[in-house]
This record gives sequence, C-alpha cells and structure tokens, in this order.
Amino acid sequence: MIHLLIVGVLVVVATLGLGLLLTQTGILPAQASQQAITIDWLFNIHFWFIAFFVALICVVIVYSLIVFRRKAGEKGDGVYMHGNQRLEILWTVVPIGIVLWMAVIGGQTLSDVERRDPQAITVDVFAAQWSWRFQYEVTTEEGVRTAVASDVLVLPRNQQALLRLHSQDVIHSFYVPEFRVKQDILPGGEEYVRELRITPNTNGTYTVQCAEICGQGHYSMLAQVQVVDGSEFTAWLTEQAADCNLSDVECGQRWAETFGCLGCHTTDGTVKIGPTWLGLAGHAVELTDGSTVTADTNYLLTAIVDPNAQIVAGFQPNVMPQNFDELLSQEQINQIVAFIESLGN
Amino acid sequence: MRFFSTSMFRGLIAQVAGTVLGMGLAMALRVVFGLPLSSPIEAEDAHIREVIVVVGVLVGAIAFLVGSGVFTDWFKWARGEETSDDHTPDPSKPNWMRYFSVDFDHKVIGVQYGVTSLLLLLFGGIFAMLFRIELSGSGITFLNSEIFKVLLGYDGPHLYNTLMSLHGIVMIAGILLGVGAMSNYLVPMLIGANDMAFPRLNAFAFWINVPGAAILLSSLFFGGFDTGWVGYPPLSLRAPLGMQMFLIGVYLVGLSSIAGSINVIVTTLTMRAKGMSLFRMPIFCWAALATALLQFSATQLIGLSFQLVMLERLMGMSFFDSLQGGDPVLYQHLFWFYSHPAVYVFILPGLGVISELLPVFGRKPLYGYRWVALSSFGIAVVSFFVWAHHMFVSGMSPFLRIPFMYSTLLVAVPTGVKFFSWAATIWQGKTIFKTPMLFALGAVVIFLLGGVTGPPLATIATDLHLHDTWFVVGHFHDTMFGGFIFPFVAAIFYWFPKMSGRMYNEKQGKIQFWLMFIGFMLMSNLQLILGLLGMRRRVVDFDAALGFDTMQLALTIGGFMVFFGMLLFAYNIIRSWTKGEVAEGNVWDSRSPEWQKPNPMPLHNYEQPFEVVGEPYDYGLPNSRYVNMNPAGGSPSAH
Amino acid sequence: MSAVESYATKLVRNRMGLWLFVISDAFVFVGLFIARMVLLGDTRPHLDQGLGLGVTIMLLISSFFMNRAEVEMAHGNRPAFLRNIFITMALGVIFLVGVVGVEWQIAHFGPADGQQGAVFYAMTGFHAFHVLTGVIFLFIVWNNGRRGHYSAEKHWAVEACAIYWHFVDVVWMFFYVGLYLLGTPIV
Repeated sequence: MIHLLIVGVLVVVATLGLGLLLTQTGILPAQASQQAITIDWLFNIHFWFIAFFVALICVVIVYSLIVFRRKAGEKGDGVYMHGNQRLEILWTVVPIGIVLWMAVIGGQTLSDVERRDPQAITVDVFAAQWSWRFQYEVTTEEGVRTAVASDVLVLPRNQQALLRLHSQDVIHSFYVPEFRVKQDILPGGEEYVRELRITPNTNGTYTVQCAEICGQGHYSMLAQVQVVDGSEFTAWLTEQAADCNLSDVECGQRWAETFGCLGCHTTDGTVKIGPTWLGLAGHAVELTDGSTVTADTNYLLTAIVDPNAQIVAGFQPNVMPQNFDELLSQEQINQIVAFIESLGN
Repeated sequence: MRFFSTSMFRGLIAQVAGTVLGMGLAMALRVVFGLPLSSPIEAEDAHIREVIVVVGVLVGAIAFLVGSGVFTDWFKWARGEETSDDHTPDPSKPNWMRYFSVDFDHKVIGVQYGVTSLLLLLFGGIFAMLFRIELSGSGITFLNSEIFKVLLGYDGPHLYNTLMSLHGIVMIAGILLGVGAMSNYLVPMLIGANDMAFPRLNAFAFWINVPGAAILLSSLFFGGFDTGWVGYPPLSLRAPLGMQMFLIGVYLVGLSSIAGSINVIVTTLTMRAKGMSLFRMPIFCWAALATALLQFSATQLIGLSFQLVMLERLMGMSFFDSLQGGDPVLYQHLFWFYSHPAVYVFILPGLGVISELLPVFGRKPLYGYRWVALSSFGIAVVSFFVWAHHMFVSGMSPFLRIPFMYSTLLVAVPTGVKFFSWAATIWQGKTIFKTPMLFALGAVVIFLLGGVTGPPLATIATDLHLHDTWFVVGHFHDTMFGGFIFPFVAAIFYWFPKMSGRMYNEKQGKIQFWLMFIGFMLMSNLQLILGLLGMRRRVVDFDAALGFDTMQLALTIGGFMVFFGMLLFAYNIIRSWTKGEVAEGNVWDSRSPEWQKPNPMPLHNYEQPFEVVGEPYDYGLPNSRYVNMNPAGGSPSAH
Repeated sequence: MSAVESYATKLVRNRMGLWLFVISDAFVFVGLFIARMVLLGDTRPHLDQGLGLGVTIMLLISSFFMNRAEVEMAHGNRPAFLRNIFITMALGVIFLVGVVGVEWQIAHFGPADGQQGAVFYAMTGFHAFHVLTGVIFLFIVWNNGRRGHYSAEKHWAVEACAIYWHFVDVVWMFFYVGLYLLGTPIV
C-alpha cells in the first residue's frame, strides 16, 4: 500500500512538471488569429492529459523496475497477480468517459473555429505548382467591379476572411502556422472549391505554406501574408485596383510577381524550376531536341502561352501551367515580355 | 556454384528474361494493332515507353514466380498429378540452400521473411540517412551533389522527394514482411502445429515479395516519384515512370499480405494443440489473428486504388483527376480504408511480442490476459471505422468529420487497456534485464509516446494545425518504433536460439539498445516539437530564419544513432548465427511449448503432439504448468 | 504425428481458406461499386439493354449447371458431371464474348471517355478477368474429371470451383444492377 502511495505522489509531481513544460515553454507558434486562441485552449487540455498519462505509466514502470528489482543472487518468480476484473472494467470505462468528453469539446472547438461571420471579406486563393495568387473583388469609385490579383495575401485585422481555395493542377494545402488552420486545395471546377475562414488578430508578416506535397517545388511554395489595420487594407486595395499606369517594363514586373512567374524563374541568374530570365532575351537557347533558337519576342510569347512547345534543355515539360493565355490579358503578356526583355543583357 | 540452382537465382534470371520478353510482347502487340512505338511529342513518347515498360515488368514478376518454382506443385495439381505432403529436405544439399529455395517449412519461410524484411529496413534506413544529411541544415546542398545527377539522372528537390517517398514505402514493405516473419515463424510453433495450413500458399506469399521488392526499389532508376508514400492523384498521375514501379511493387507485396493472412487465420483456428482453447493460446497468436483479419480484408482496397491509378495513367481512365471528371477524394477514401488498418497490422504483432515477453522476463503472469487478447480485437474492429481521420483537412464532406473523430478517439480505449495491463504486469515483477526485455520495455515507453500524441491528431480543431506537419511524422515514428521495430528486434533476440541454436552477443545487444533508445528519443521528440512549431512535412529545405537548424541537426544525429544501432544488430546476428555460444534447452525458463524442445527447433516441430493443461503465463504459481509435452504418459517435461 | 493428414481435416481447412479468399476478393468489388456510386451517382452508362440482360441470363443459367455438376459428382455420376461442367464452361465463354467481344466494341465510349468510360470498363474488366480465371478453373476440373479424377467422396476441386463460380456470378448480379438498371442513362 505504501508503494502505491509513493507512486501516487510521484505521478502528481511528474504530471505537474511535464504539464508545465508542455504548456509554458512555447512549443506552439505565436497566435495571430481568433481561431488560434480556441485551438490553443484545446491544445493545453491535450498537453495536460499527455503529461498525466506519460507520468502514470512511466512512474509505475520505472518505480517497479527500481524498487522491486532482483537483488543479487535472488532466485524465484515475481508476485503471482493474475488480474482483477474490477480494475480492468475501471480502466476501460474511465478512458471511454474521457475520450467521449474530449470528442464533445473537440466538436465544440471545431464549430467555434468554423463560425461564420456574414461580414467576412472574400479572397479567392489560386494555388498552382508552385505559386500562390490571391484575388480580391473590388468596386472602384466609379462603381466598376474589378478583380485585384496579388502575390501577397493582405488581410485586415479583426475581420474574418473567407478564403475560397482553387487549385489549377494538383492538390495543395493552405497553411499559416500562426493562424493554426489548414485546408487542402483541390483541383477541378466550382464543386471542388473549398473554404477556409480566418480572423487575424495581430498585425504582422507571416508565411503561407503549401502543406500537401505537390511535386518538386513543394518546399518553395510560399507566399507572404500581411495582417494590417482595416484602413490600411482599404487603401492598399484601392491602390491595387487602379490601372497599371507605369511603364510596360514596370507593369510587366508587377504581373510577373502577382501571377507567380517569379516562383520558378529568377531575375538574378540562379536556376530554380524554370530558366532564369537574366540574360535570356535575345540570346541563343538550346532545346531538349538539340536545336537552338534565339529568344526573341515571338519565342517569349510562345513560351508563356504554350510552354510545352519548346522545352529548354535541362528542364522538364508539363511543369509550367498551360493556361496563362486565359489568366492574362494580351496586354499583360506583352508587358511581361517587355520585362523579360529588359533583363536581356 | 550451388547458388545458381537456387530458386532465388533462377527466379531473378527468369524475371529479367520475362521483363525483356514482356516489353517485346507489348511492342509486338502495338505493331499488330497499328499503334506507334514512338512519338515526336515528348509527353506521348514517354507514355508509350511507360506502357511497354509496365507490361514488361508485370510479365517479369510472373516469370520470377514460375522460374523460382513456387508454382510447380500447383501446375502439377492442374494437370491432375499428386504431390507429396512430406517436405523433408534433400539431405544431399547443404542447409543454407533451403533459405534461398522454395521451401514449405514455416520456420524456413519465417526466416526468409525476416531476412528480406531486415534488408528492406536497411534500404529504407539508407534512404532516410541520405535525406537526413540534407535536412541537417537549411539550404539544399548535399542532394545537389553531381554524383546523384550522374547516377540517377536527377537531383535536388526531386531526389529528396523520391528518397523520402521510398523511405516511407520501403519501410512499410519491410514492416509487412517483418510481420509475416513473426506470424509465420511463431504461430505454428506456439500453437503446437507442425506447419501452416497451406504450406505452398505460404511459400508463394513469401516469394512474390522478392520481385515486388525489386520492382519497388527499381523506381529509383525510373525517374523516381515525388508523391510521398500515399501517392495521391492527381500528382501521382503526373509523376515520372518510377510511380508505376511503386504501384506495381506495393501491389505485389499486398498480394503477399492477403495470401499470408488467410494462412494465419486458418492455421490459428484449426490447428491448435489439444486443450488449447482460444483463451489459452499464447498471447502473440491473438495479435497475429487480429492482424490477419485486417490484412485479408482491407488490403484489397489499396490494391484496387493502386490498380485504378495505374489504369488512369496507362489508359486515361478518369477515376481521380478532377480536371477530367474524376474525384481525387475518392482515392483518399479507398487508400486510407486500407492504410489506416495497415498501421494496426504493423503494430499489433509487435504489441503481441511485448505481451509475450513481459511475463517471461518479469517472472509474473500477464495481467488480465483476456482483456489484453480482446483489446487486440477491439483495436482491429475499431480500425475499420477510423480511416477518414487522415482526411480532416482533405476537403471531404464536412459532416463525415465528427463521427470519425469519435471513432478515432475510441481507439485510445483498447490501447489504454494494453498499457495498464503491461504496467500491472511489470509491477512487483522480478525483472531479468536481458536484451529482449530491454527492447520490450523500450517499446512500451516509445509506444506510449505514440499513443498520447494520437488524441491531438484526432480532435479536429487541433489537427487543423498539426496535419501534414512533422508532428504527424513524430507520432507515426513513435508508433512504428514502439509497435514494430523495438518488438521485432526483441523477438529476433528472444527466439534467436530457436532459429540458430546459438546465443546472440548480450553485450552488443545492450549497446544497441541504448544507442537506439537514446537516438530515437532525441529524434522523435524533436520531430514532435518541430511539428508543433508549425514545420510542414515533406520539404527538402526550410527557411533559416525559422531557427530550426539546430534542432534538425540534432535530429539527424539521433537518426544516425538508430541507424548505427541497427547495423550493430545486423553484425551481432550474422556473427552469432555461426559463432555464437551454443544455446542449450530452455534458455529463458519459459513455459511456452517451443522452449521445451531442443534448439534449434526440430525439423517437424512436434513429432509428439503436446497437450495444454494450464494457463500460459502462470509464472509464480507453484506446481502449475502450461503444456504436457508427453500426454501419452511418462514424466512431464515442462514445469 | 503422421506427415499425411486425413482428407477430412484438410477439407475443413480448404473450405475455410477458400471462403476467406472469397470474402477478401469481395472487397475489391465492393470498392469498385463504391467508386461507381461516387463517380456516376444516379446516372449510368449508356449501354445496350438487350445484350446486358442476355449475358446476365447466361451467367445465371451457368450457375445452375455448375450446381448440377457438383451434385452429380457428389453422387458419383461422372458423365452427368462432365456434361454439366462443360455447359457451365460454354456459358461462361459466351458471357465473356458478350461482354468483352461485343459490348466493349459497340459501346459509344472508350475507357478514356470521362467517368462513365472509366467506371464501365473497370467494373466489367475486373469482373471479366474473374470470369476468365473461372473458365480456366472449370477447364482444369473438366479435364481432370475426364481423366478419372475425383470421386463422390473426394472432389474438393469441384466444390472449390463451384464456390468460386457462384461468387463470380453473385458479383455480376450487383454489377448488372449498378451498370444497367440504377439511375438514368448518360446520353
């Protein structure tokens, strides 16, 4: 009996120690959304249960192995204990109670996390191998409805954002650790669009990561998230909605950023998933079939709208999306070409 | 030179010839039907190549089986010829040849399974070490080495994805074979049978793994694949040819699993010794039975889903590509309907080994035998209704999530029963710290970590954060090491004298234990923490600004400790097989029937059938015994 | 213990093993049926109803003859057993020709044509493969029976063949409903 008492005390001590270690040492990322608060509350409950069960089993085992150890020269067997029906029922029924309770609070937290706010702003998220594009619908001062595309996800603080997730090729997953939530993004039509609701509550810069393996560029399928004040968000959106009235080259750079070109093509000469744009235009390019072409305007235009037509030696076909002629206007494509040509030397 | 007359050699030669023949056949058929053999368009050309290679590989696999001779008796039956049931080996051939040949003795097949399993685990380990070197720090360096480009034709992120995917699936294949090793070697011996119910089916079930494993590993040289071991379409529809090798290889290993499990069920249910009621079976047999029930039913679904992906790739049949009208989530349902129960297939035999060893070395009865036995069944039954917890964020119907959360959490109950029973078994025991016991105890602690990290993945809200992070990786490695690797090593050490007639090296065994236990604890706890911190899984590189470099480096060190531990293990058993101390009689003072026989186990296990006269684990109960080895009369040989 | 176990002992094991195999195999077909429900829902492929009904009746009748064959063997009537098993085999071949030889050729769609092509060719293909193996099995049993194997007491191979054939038949009953009757045809 005295052994059980000591074990009991040790279990309590170990539970406290482990529990504090798990809950107080910051093994979860910063909280940056309403959803994170709810989810972390549930995490803490789990942490305490983990602490208790690890402590219980380990203390019993370790205590027994040490205290009842075989003394030098001791022969014979251990205590004959066959089992105890009541004890077995107890440690079956009590865990059933605990897991049912956990399931109940699991359901409650889930509905909390997914609570809908009718005022939520809608952002269409387009994931492709291997870039992110975020599209906002805005109404300009003249009352024209237009779409704004960005490669940075800008969200207003303390307002729910409804993300409508589209994939253009394979399954991706939207994940921002600081927001704690995640949703796979399925390719296909409207019936495969999935939604994710986030209410950011801390200004700052975070990273969207693709969490479902999506091919060789999976590791680098990242995008920036900026949580800003509401007024700042509105200002940003208005600025984006304005036509691009910069030079062709500058506009081209902007489209190259917002439509994810720079996820695979660099402008500094390093090689990522596709050929670099630095020193490309006007120079000879060797293709997989052994021939050589000059990267003139026509070549660049074809390379954007029909990327499989000519594959540069050392790169794979079917990697680049083949629908840029639908996504971009002819003017935008021309501007991107102008941008690439500006990097020609 | 005798090696050239073994089934292994003949089979492999036949496989190579069959593959070439099959490719020729496919090309000939294309010519006959007026289809092109090549195409100027790169993508079409690749597709034609893929069709030809796949036909070749499938014919090659069948050729292996024919060439190795597993079908010989069945062909005789089909021709109406009788075959002998007396499988005494040819005394003119050296003993080692049996292990490389088609042999119907369950002990030989068990060892064949075991060695193949360890080889696959070694390959899986090498893959892991390669990408662990890469992951020790941020930036892509090691995998960009020129050597990989020269050897394989690809490097960098794609190589990482391939190694990571192969690590997963090769380990799983290795584990399935390890499960087969334990079931085949132990079940007949423990229940007092002289062989499995269907010895030929048993041999077939083993030998089909050899071409299966060869094809699976060959995917490395067919461009690899970048989908992870889950092979989700549409990504798996776009992956290189290596994907097909993955699908075919796993399919063959799956067939083995089905054939093997039918054998285990029939053997356990119909061939037990006199007096051995189900509740007097050694506890491992309960685990093997529950495992077999999962294997023979659920495995078909992964076979089906892989076949459908193959067909979609080969013939453009749109099952899963939503851009063509298919449904990618359907694949995930079919896949996880097997692959969740599969993880219980991996762990249940291991848990059975733990339950088997704790009483022997603690010199105490297994606490609550019936509850432990039935908890295996509880886990098996519940596991059929939990698959969708892998899909909480997959975009499946939202209303499915809550019921699957309930069912998933319920798994904790029978698992908890096991832990409480083990703790109670250890309590007040007079433990003998031999290597097998160390591994069994280590397994309990590691599996405990795997157990308690389950519920945060089961409650959906927390899973939204943890899904597809390193936390899942940590949780899974905990369950696999606690539920399979450690118990498997324990089982090999424990029954080593039965297999070889010799003892392993105790000192090396203990060094191996501490190396692996400490290394694994380092590795898995860091995996869990990285996951909680939000590091997603299956990435070749991570931002240095995240501050994960130190932890990843420590993780690599832990991984290498485990790896070197297993290498030491290989050295220990290979050396001890011929050079170890001769082990006489009941080395562990066990009550189990197989230890009442000489070492190594005689050719036909029990020439004289024994009778069960007591409970299996009544250690510490004076004058009790489990088996009467000589029921016809005479003095009892068991205590 | 004698190395040769009695025929009766083995028969128990063989039966159990075969039934386990049948249950296991059934999972494939259940999986295919689920795939059909998910991908096609309340629609079905556009198929020739007459042909579908025809081959279904052929297969049903073949099961009857299979049963006769087994009963005749159990009574030791070899000629009747051989006759019945031959008819079963012939009906199986007619079924195969009807599905693979005719239906596959006259269907308005190929395997690569959308969900209906995928589902139709996968379901009939997997099933036809089982019918084919069944026909081969029947041939082996018929051939061995012709040469004087099997007796009223010992005819496990005949029984196994019958169980397998009935199983393949039952599967087709479900598939027939799933492919030819359920839902509205896709135009």
